[in-house]
Amino acid sequence: MKVLYSWLRDFVDVEDGPAEIGRRLSLRGLALEGIEPAPPGEEPPGRAPIDGDAVLDFDVTANRPDCMSVVGIAREIAAVYRLPLRLPSPDASGHLRAAALTAVDQATFSVALEAPDLCPRYVGAAATVAVGPSPGWMQRRLTALGVRPISNVVDITNYVLLELGQPMHAFDHTRLAGNAIVVRAARPGEALTTLDSKARTLAPSMLVIADATRAAAVGGVMGGLDSEVRADTTRIVFESAWFAPGSVRATSKALGLRSEASMRFERGADQTGAARGMARACALLEMIGAGTADGTMVDATARPYVPRVVPLTHAHVEGLLGMSVPVVEVERILDALGFTAIADASRTAWQVRVPGWRPDIARPEDLVEEVGRHHGFEHLPATFPPVFQAPPPSDPRIARDAAARRGMLALGFSEAISFAFIDAAAAAPFAAGEPAITLANPLSETFAVMRPSVLAGIIDAVSHNRRHGRRDVRLFEIATAFAARGERRSLAAAWTGAAGGDHWSGGRRDVDFFDVKGVVEHIGAALGVPLAFTLVEPDYLVAGRAAGVVAGARQVGVCGLLSPVLADARGIPRADDVYVLELDLDAITATAPPGATRVVPLPRFPAVVRDVSLLVDDTLSGATVRDTIQRAAPSTLVSLREFDRYQGRGVPAGKVSVSLRLTFRADDRTLTDDEVGAAMTAVLAATRTALGAEQR
Amino acid sequence: MSSLDELTALISTYQQAFTEALGAADAAAASARPAALDALKVAWTGRKAGKIADLMAHLPSLPPADRKAFGQQVNALKTVVESALAEREAALAATRRPADAVDITLPGRAPAIGHRHPLSLVREEVQTIFTRLGYQVLEGPEIEDDYHNFEALNMPESHPARDMQDTLYLSQPLPPPSGGVSPKQAEPAKADRSGTTRRTLGPQPLTLLRTHTSAMQIRYMEQHDPPVRLVAIGPVYRRDNLDLTHTPMFHQCEGLVVGKGITLAHLKGTLLAMAEALFGAGTAVRFRPSFFPYTEPSAEVDVACIRCKGAGCPVCKHTGWLEILGSGMVHPAVFEAVGYDPSEVTGFAFGMGIERVAMLKWDVGDIRLFYENDLRFLEQFSV
Ligand SMILES: [Zn+2]
Repeated sequence: MKVLYSWLRDFVDVEDGPAEIGRRLSLRGLALEGIEPAPPGEEPPGRAPIDGDAVLDFDVTANRPDCMSVVGIAREIAAVYRLPLRLPSPDASGHLRAAALTAVDQATFSVALEAPDLCPRYVGAAATVAVGPSPGWMQRRLTALGVRPISNVVDITNYVLLELGQPMHAFDHTRLAGNAIVVRAARPGEALTTLDSKARTLAPSMLVIADATRAAAVGGVMGGLDSEVRADTTRIVFESAWFAPGSVRATSKALGLRSEASMRFERGADQTGAARGMARACALLEMIGAGTADGTMVDATARPYVPRVVPLTHAHVEGLLGMSVPVVEVERILDALGFTAIADASRTAWQVRVPGWRPDIARPEDLVEEVGRHHGFEHLPATFPPVFQAPPPSDPRIARDAAARRGMLALGFSEAISFAFIDAAAAAPFAAGEPAITLANPLSETFAVMRPSVLAGIIDAVSHNRRHGRRDVRLFEIATAFAARGERRSLAAAWTGAAGGDHWSGGRRDVDFFDVKGVVEHIGAALGVPLAFTLVEPDYLVAGRAAGVVAGARQVGVCGLLSPVLADARGIPRADDVYVLELDLDAITATAPPGATRVVPLPRFPAVVRDVSLLVDDTLSGATVRDTIQRAAPSTLVSLREFDRYQGRGVPAGKVSVSLRLTFRADDRTLTDDEVGAAMTAVLAATRTALGAEQR
Repeated sequence: MSSLDELTALISTYQQAFTEALGAADAAAASARPAALDALKVAWTGRKAGKIADLMAHLPSLPPADRKAFGQQVNALKTVVESALAEREAALAATRRPADAVDITLPGRAPAIGHRHPLSLVREEVQTIFTRLGYQVLEGPEIEDDYHNFEALNMPESHPARDMQDTLYLSQPLPPPSGGVSPKQAEPAKADRSGTTRRTLGPQPLTLLRTHTSAMQIRYMEQHDPPVRLVAIGPVYRRDNLDLTHTPMFHQCEGLVVGKGITLAHLKGTLLAMAEALFGAGTAVRFRPSFFPYTEPSAEVDVACIRCKGAGCPVCKHTGWLEILGSGMVHPAVFEAVGYDPSEVTGFAFGMGIERVAMLKWDVGDIRLFYENDLRFLEQFSV
């Protein structure tokens, strides 16, 4: 809300300049957005120009429609500076005068309220006018607040709206068929061309101001073109009413039409302001020589306004704020803001009558805020809430994710964070046949689908880094993946370029499948869950370079080489090998063995190590060889691992030489050569029989 | 026969020659010096052709009475030569390096170490601060229902914050979540509250991306009795176009404390402790009255500008203060929605943007950098 400093001074004799006022109001709930020099020009008659006049722009919060007016902000200033507030009235002199109008049931027109819930009060007054430009001082004030001057009659309606926050409208009296104003719901499909020259089709949920035959305005939103005040208009009816916020808001939204009036009504205009606005408009009409009001007004009231009364106790004020506020200070603040506080005998509790312009005040807490903000939050002591019990445990996912994060960082992966929404094409490869979760109103197609896999964002991050000249990329992200069956926490990672040895001493090697498999194994260890691998080859991975990750009996992830088609589609150079992995952390921890890890005592007897090289068919999997050995060996075999695989000179085609290291140990004795020898004989026999393996 | 005098003069000449040769070797370039000294050593102390041996060869030509004196003179010269060469050899040995010495100026073989994302760092820092202050740290669902995100937070259907341009909605509603706050909450179930005025309508279909972590407040209070002392951290979503200070997804930290006699002053003390932990001891905080539907009274909270310490600079737009969060006392309507009795308990709540803190902390001018995942950016943060 923009206000003009000189206009504020109509209502409060504040000495401070615009900047200081802005600073002080910012600490009382009206945040100053900016100050601009006021446009030069005339002042109202009898007022001297002010040096350094300025336009102050305040950010008015949605609960304070009263501050969408010059008087509303002047009232706050008066409360801050402990100054009296001067309002337009019939007694006031000069340009601050309001007319004294006589309320009548029927004037040269009639008013009927047919939708009392949407419009319980409607004030109309007729006047004879000579349409022309408004005076310079009025035009200057409107312009300063961002409203374009149109004509003296229309400018008056806008002036009252800005000054008092009371939206007004002026109809051409002669265009109101039957001299009637009917406030009613729109008829189904009823048409109206609004002031902005747009043809609108109305719905029965909308309120219209109609004459005897048809709609003339959308209530509280915008007037109709046909009944607008024109250069040749001589008779007008001013409208000053109160329209229900929800209805105006819904209508404004449905029509895509916002106006200065609708913005005030939808937040809640002053329920007692209609007659005041009318009195002010009629006085201004005569003051600027635009015409003569008839002197009467039709004040149609469907429901009498009952002011809200909210109880307040001094204990509540101090108890909620946690600071002391003297009783006299409570009363001063409430009074300055227009509340009427009636104290009980002990003066520790009040019945507080709420003024019509404060629809936001409904509960004692609302009053506590009024007292607190005007006493000043700067007086709040910094105390500490008492603790009576130990906090319950935090979400276990936090520590779990932290363990996975530490694991990835230690392996050289940097942490990424991506948007959870991605474009449909990026999501499709990961959908696994499930319908995507799409947004109804995405910002753009780039952000249209909730990611079914965190890999999507990681792949785009790799692409970004590759396109910015980065050859070696390791990135991971721990975030939520979305599916219709629910959210899951996922760890996704990508690795391209060097796997190690990128050093002047040589030995550079590019990442391969076993690097990314090793990462999965490391994360399994970090989470305390042994992870196994199975043959799973989703379309987004290259067949023959992919594996499923299994915990317990459940598939919890994948790893492997990203499909070059997909990589290419996301802008990654074709020649790049990008290895990726994704693990469902929630699924992994669900299979975690219960209980804490226990330390195994160190062995008391020495181990015996035997290496063996076997020639086997190169189609035979490592797992098959290991399983055969494990089954044949006694329980003293405590470790078995491949340490070399060789094909080439000396090895027949179709064969591979596999070297394994077997470690034997018993818990209760030192193994003898004979025992180990017998074990090795059994192992070799089994591999020969079952696998056709030859010892080299 | 030679005379002693003649030979003494000869020794003098030799001594002079050695001094000159030694001077020349000393003056040689550092790389040539070892070879020069080696040559000098061979030329002077060589057992057969060395100059000392050469002098000693004159001994038999002297009368026996002079031989002792001559021998002493030659020996004196030999001592001078040997000690001069030994001294230089020792000096050279001290600087000589083994043949397999490494060039320590070559780059080391750095193990690959990943870098933390700055938002992750701030998030952990905030978690640590509030864990220290005795808070429970929670996470919640990112897809929410209308009730938990808006209605229970005193934002009825007609509230401006619910406009389409602010909230991202799903095309198709999802089934309501089955579980509670998190899959593994080791919390006793909430006591029966029959008799209280709950507005809860039972599980609602999920329709939107949560616009704030405040939705977690409701989920937690629905299932747990007071007192409450929690922070909830995670991503939230708004329909904001990308610019220097806006992204449609960002991260929030929500704090909630509920109990008997909780006050706005407690909130100030708590946020002061947080600000000092985040931005350094002595960081001042300032409360400005504001409006949020779910708090009353409400306050925006500023910290003294961390660049200029309040003096005024471009970062704080010359105000000396930086807005970092919104906060207030929990609105009684929120308590009523979760079945708490607002005449029994009060509470405070606050919501802070993680990106905002990170931008201030590290002087990041463009919020979009957090979501590009450019390694040149990420590698500027600690491992
Ligand atoms: Zn500053």
